[in-house]
Amino acid sequence: MHIPDAFIPMGQALVYWVIALIFIALALRWARRSMGEEKIPLVAVLAAGIFAIQALNIPIPWGTSGHMVGAALAAIVLGSPFAGVFVLTLVLLVQGVIFGDGGITVMGANIVNMGVVGGFVGYYGYTGIKGVIGNAYAAAFIAGWASLFISAILCAVELAIAGTFPLSLGLTFMGTYHAVIGLIEGGITAVALYLIASARPDILEHPRGVSA
Amino acid sequence: METKQFVIIGVAIALVIAVAAPFLASGNPDGLESAFFSIYEAKPFMGSELDEEAAGAAEEQAIAMTGNDFSYEAFMPDYSIPGLDKTGEVFAVVIGTLLMLILVFAVAKVSARPDN
Repeated sequence: MHIPDAFIPMGQALVYWVIALIFIALALRWARRSMGEEKIPLVAVLAAGIFAIQALNIPIPWGTSGHMVGAALAAIVLGSPFAGVFVLTLVLLVQGVIFGDGGITVMGANIVNMGVVGGFVGYYGYTGIKGVIGNAYAAAFIAGWASLFISAILCAVELAIAGTFPLSLGLTFMGTYHAVIGLIEGGITAVALYLIASARPDILEHPRGVSA
Repeated sequence: METKQFVIIGVAIALVIAVAAPFLASGNPDGLESAFFSIYEAKPFMGSELDEEAAGAAEEQAIAMTGNDFSYEAFMPDYSIPGLDKTGEVFAVVIGTLLMLILVFAVAKVSARPDN
């Protein structure tokens, strides 16, 4: 879902950069206040794993493929939507600058879609759904799916504003493909949460909720 | 599990994925690209045949539409090292994974609360 430079006019891209920078500043404030020294190596490992798994495009029907984004997982594991913003901003920076994956002028839009929406929908989806159904892994699956799907819907709206996609076709096509790709996001989020919770229950901000 | 052990196992898993990804990853367009090609009639919405010529023209149309012709030459475009085929792709994803590890560690170190 990495938007390339050509898809959004420069002026609009700048607006998304401003929004992204506000959330990046908030994410840095979260890191200063809430990320203890002991979590630093774990955040780095999580980011490396998210980068690697983003390179693994999984085929879906209709000659299309998709990969995990990982913001929901980072937000759930580290207990804050801003963790998703923190990790995804750095992942998208490296992907754009070193590998040409995702544009430079539109990187703000990609940070908003994948980092901010992914982190917030992932985190609040997870805590909300877990509160209702009680199962942490089912909650992680649904929140992971929703984080990816809603990112794609916002992306379609941005591209409609940009004039690149007509709104209804963009929503239909982006929604259909990402409803399927979301299953990849949800599945890997739930499995990774299970592995991390088994290895290090103390890392999770809400260990009791996970084992429930 | 000790932090050291967790980090070693975590990095090992990330590197296994990084090495395997170039061999396992699908080369099909991703969801956004597929939507773009379908809208610009280079690929059927629910079909897999991509018309390369129409796809190229679609990219030109997008630039004409938005006026954003910013272009940038990445060091390892599309997770590859020019002239090195699959080996280059493996190196590219492995380098990226290790770079993430170092970069995120450094940024987290600088920004985390300095209380212990």
